[in-house]
Amino acid sequence: MADPYRWSFWKREFNSPILLASGTAGFGIELMEQGFLEGAAAVISKATTLKPREGNPPPRIIETRFGLLNSIGLANPGVDEVLKILLPQAADLPCPLIINVAGEVVEEFPAVIERLEESTVPFGYEVNVSCPNVAAGGIAFGASPEIVERISTLVKRVSSRPFSVKLTPNEGSIVESAKAAEAGGADAVTVCNTFLGMKVDWRTGKALLKRSVGGYSSPALLPLTVARVFKTSEAVKIPVLASGGVNRAEDILELLAAGAAMVQVGTWLMRRPDAAFELREGVISLLESDSP
Amino acid sequence: MIIGKEEILPGIFKFEFKVSSSFIAEAEPGRFIQLEVSHGPFPVTRRPFTISSTYGKSVEIIFEVVGRGTEVLAETDVGRSLRLLGPLGRGYLLNPGKWLLIGGGLGAAGFPGLTAKIDSGLLLLGAASRDKLLTIPGLETVAITEDGSSGRKGLITDLLGSVRWDSFSGIALCGPVPMMKAVFEMMPFPAQAITQVSAEARMGCGWGVCEGCSVPKAGGGFLKCCSDGPVFQAESIDWERCEGIH
Repeated sequence: MADPYRWSFWKREFNSPILLASGTAGFGIELMEQGFLEGAAAVISKATTLKPREGNPPPRIIETRFGLLNSIGLANPGVDEVLKILLPQAADLPCPLIINVAGEVVEEFPAVIERLEESTVPFGYEVNVSCPNVAAGGIAFGASPEIVERISTLVKRVSSRPFSVKLTPNEGSIVESAKAAEAGGADAVTVCNTFLGMKVDWRTGKALLKRSVGGYSSPALLPLTVARVFKTSEAVKIPVLASGGVNRAEDILELLAAGAAMVQVGTWLMRRPDAAFELREGVISLLESDSP
Repeated sequence: MIIGKEEILPGIFKFEFKVSSSFIAEAEPGRFIQLEVSHGPFPVTRRPFTISSTYGKSVEIIFEVVGRGTEVLAETDVGRSLRLLGPLGRGYLLNPGKWLLIGGGLGAAGFPGLTAKIDSGLLLLGAASRDKLLTIPGLETVAITEDGSSGRKGLITDLLGSVRWDSFSGIALCGPVPMMKAVFEMMPFPAQAITQVSAEARMGCGWGVCEGCSVPKAGGGFLKCCSDGPVFQAESIDWERCEGIH
């Protein structure tokens, strides 16, 4: 790895611009065991909540003609188990681990992070404001810039580590939410999350996902991410972590050119668990072939 | 690389892939592979297939064309290379003695490999019609079809009355969820306790991370089909909550 290419965020330098997106890499442990973390700058864990969550009833996943719908329901063992079992195992990862945090009420985010501060393992946090706010009738936290700012402020107060706010494309203005996150003290924004989608069997009239609607991801969504990264990176000074539609090295370079500091790979990792290595090689070779 | 392809029944294919010797060493019956069926971006995810059998340095799968993934695969020709992950998941826990294998439709696709590893066995095989009835060599077989086009006419549960359950040391059950549930519920308790089922679920990753392929667990919560299974003790599944999954 003698190449000169480096990417940085949160005062740290990496030889890759690739982050493994939340929900598609676990806590990195399985990928580490297979040697598949080579090429990844950092792993973003699956969502962690205060209490264990068993997740949504199946079917939780369905592929449509041009993309994947999922409704996992933030299944996770809860922060106690994460601290006791998963983080000690993840201490050996060859790259930093960012913990994704979710909640049902505003106060849950700082509460989970306060617990995670007990561990030396996390490099930082990603706060998922795309999940439904139970206290507001299930509308996503991210729909309201005021709530995004409030969560950011509360997290900033308890966290000794940097954090990104993972914004939703489904409700509200992503640019306003990004500004609100920055105002609240966030150290980055993740742009963005899956798009609300649904598949119905027209013969039966029934949805194929048990919970009817889910998050849609697809390589076809790339231009939607590029546009949102472009607009938010013009509006805020904090780094923008791009997420959505990446499956080629060109996609990564395109998002970086549009204003992203780092680029996440998610759904594609389910197909290619070793994607980080391949994509990083691709990025380097494109940069080398392009240099004078 | 695909080295063999045959349409063994209308819309039902057998594919043979060349694989490594380390793959063969780990290809216990009941485990599965994740195949990247297309070189293009769609379908986005891989498709899981139970390992039907292994020969020398090749692995066979049997599948029915049921959707876009299997449609794309069925159109792929011998000589093409596809990315294959596996063997994945947990297979059957084998014990000596006589086994009872109960298969519904394509659920019997994994039985050839299992047959090769057990001392002896009896196969009860049900299908909608002769067109969907797999042939599993090497086992005494009693077949039944819903339309009577092969073997007896009726459902697989019609064959259970004459089974001498206590003569088997292990039972393997695989088929559509309603069929497995009906068979399991008709079994006497000691037979339920020695029954292993090979479950099926829509999968994302196939290696335990995405939590897409959940199977309802007895006593609450979910099991991961891909890494806790796909072969489970039948008693560990909550059959009531399985209804309507597919």
